[in-house]
Amino acid sequence: MSSFLLAIDTTSGTSVAILAGETVVAEVHFESGMKHAELIGTAIAQVLEGAKARPTQVIAVAVGRGPALFTGLRVGIAAGIMFSEASSAGLVGVVSHHAIALQLYSERPELLEQPLLVTTDARRGEIYWCLYGSLDATGIPIVLRGPSVAKQSEILENLTDSYPDFKVETGGASAVWIGRLAQRQILAGQHNTDVSAMYLRAPDAVEPKPNQYALGGNIQVSPAPDEVS
Amino acid sequence: MTYSIRAASKLDLAEIMRIEHLCFIGDAWSEASMADELSESHTSYFVVESNSPGQNADSEDSTLVRVVGYAGLSKHRMSVQGDIQTIAVDPAHRGQGLGRLLMQKLLETARNQNTEFVFLEVRADNPVAQALYRSLGFKVIDRRARYYQPDDVDALVMQLEVLALQKQPIVLGIESSCDETGVGIVRGNELLANVISSSMELHARFGGVVPEVAARAHLEALQPTLHKALAEAGVSLSDIDAVAVANGPGLAGALMVGVGAAKALAVGLGKPIYAVNHLVGHVGVDVLEHGQVETPTIALLVSGGHTSLLLVRDLLDDVELLGETIDDAAGEAFDKVARVLGLRYPGGPEIDAAATSGDPKAIRFPRGLSLPKDMEKHRYDFSFSGLKTAVARWIESAQASGKEIDVADVAASFREAVVDVLVTKAVAACVDHGVPRLLLGGGVVANKRLREVAAERCAKHGIELRIPAFKLCTDNGAMIAALGAQLFMAGRPASQLSFGADSTLPVTTVQTLA
Repeated sequence: MSSFLLAIDTTSGTSVAILAGETVVAEVHFESGMKHAELIGTAIAQVLEGAKARPTQVIAVAVGRGPALFTGLRVGIAAGIMFSEASSAGLVGVVSHHAIALQLYSERPELLEQPLLVTTDARRGEIYWCLYGSLDATGIPIVLRGPSVAKQSEILENLTDSYPDFKVETGGASAVWIGRLAQRQILAGQHNTDVSAMYLRAPDAVEPKPNQYALGGNIQVSPAPDEVS
Repeated sequence: MTYSIRAASKLDLAEIMRIEHLCFIGDAWSEASMADELSESHTSYFVVESNSPGQNADSEDSTLVRVVGYAGLSKHRMSVQGDIQTIAVDPAHRGQGLGRLLMQKLLETARNQNTEFVFLEVRADNPVAQALYRSLGFKVIDRRARYYQPDDVDALVMQLEVLALQKQPIVLGIESSCDETGVGIVRGNELLANVISSSMELHARFGGVVPEVAARAHLEALQPTLHKALAEAGVSLSDIDAVAVANGPGLAGALMVGVGAAKALAVGLGKPIYAVNHLVGHVGVDVLEHGQVETPTIALLVSGGHTSLLLVRDLLDDVELLGETIDDAAGEAFDKVARVLGLRYPGGPEIDAAATSGDPKAIRFPRGLSLPKDMEKHRYDFSFSGLKTAVARWIESAQASGKEIDVADVAASFREAVVDVLVTKAVAACVDHGVPRLLLGGGVVANKRLREVAAERCAKHGIELRIPAFKLCTDNGAMIAALGAQLFMAGRPASQLSFGADSTLPVTTVQTLA
């Protein structure tokens, strides 16, 4: 009986794939950066059907951890966790930018020649970025800096000192390359079971200012009866 | 090590007696009576064997096979009743589901022999075994005093209705609409597990629920909450017949975590999914305590996110929103006033505690939307933001005039105003619609004064008041599972996988189909 890897990434679109080794057996990729919760169930069901795979044949679930916009990102991770529960598959967390780097290196080998800055949109005038320096012996992208979040102009300026000749590529992750990277990491014994979301930003929340009418310590509070007794 | 199950034979007697003496110290059966049991024509005995690699790995037949558990069923040919005679698992092999495996085999045998009822006795001091039997559908029907001697321990008599059980689906429900991650498991109308992981403490310093903080907490809580619920129910995911999830109303980002999780779970298990309304879940939870939701009923749902008055003519098909808050939810008002009073978050329990020694009539705070002109247009709607401002203004002017402020009186008077308006409108809804039932739901039901006043006024108007246990009132997965099970048992089609999270899902949509 064949065994498969299910890959899920919702860091940009809704992307799901089934791989046997690094071979893609089935793939569903919705480009839209919206409606992740709507699309995820159908996408998983469709790749299983396309691969003629039963859930129990899935022995590993690879999930894109971001960094990415939070709301969509969480849908894919939540789905990955629960599918692994249902199928008793192992969980592998993959940094989505690493998968984009692997795709770029594989499709355009000339990029291996110089440092590669992979960026994705982080909104608010910022980018999620990670800098790579070629592939290691096991075919896994070598991380030089990042992943992190910053204003594009700042990061370009900062990196130029250390890496004068780096090249910038903007991309979006796909489940296929999340899956391929996961397979390489598993083979190399370098996979990570941590699937926690890589937010890189604290939640937008402001602690309230003390209320101007809030009572201070000089107020008399009658003790509750149970405190008296 | 692997385990396998097979029918027992007389040749297993010695191994069975070895385990019998390990498990039933002081009251073991004799070898002679065990031998009789194994050879009777109306009994079916099974043994579980462990298969482990032997010491001598070079030998071809080196696997060590050993009996590690056994169980027996008695069923006479002309009777529709069966009895679980005994069940035992070697202490060294417990905690691996072997007891369940044996029980399932016995129940399968019972079904094949057209058994309608299966009975067993269990020691009253053995909660682990009781939980296993309950998870398989057994219910306690009797107690026999001092049945087990010489230990002087009572026996609980449990019964399983085989036919009824086949129609009772095991449904797992996921709730993530606000700050509680809930996973609940029910079998039909019976609660098997209700595990809630709250992110309340993370919101405390912000004085209210922060949606992004809540959503992050859901993602982290999913897996541990699921594991706890399965353990509490004594079932495994392969026992689940359907998945249910709350897809609204609530916080969009929070709901999406539950929806994504539930869909992948359903697809991974190959089971149907039911997308259900969170608010109607608060009503449907009543089936877990009363076997059904008696209709028509008015439901008052009060929490930090909702203040809604519902008329439920039919749980699955006819739910009407009579009114809701036009500004703050009641729970939010408690949080905000608590802050004004210098009390902690969440405000409900803090104000409740502070109000204990206060005079609820000390200050007459306004009752929102209760004036005659409001009652025409907003008869069943609520408003609490004016009340919150009134409390702030009262304190401000009291401070300005140098008066000493009694927090207990302010808390009690504020609470009285909230409770008064909630109960007045709920009772009015009952009276206006000729509905003699009121069901409370939502976290604010924890408020003691609300329960007291509701009980008083309902009694006065001849209204039956139902208040679920607090763990079922607050947001929880069991209510979602319960509503999903109602849909399943009514033969409703499952939801298609394309449904989304809807933060403003109307109560008229009990189930989202697509």
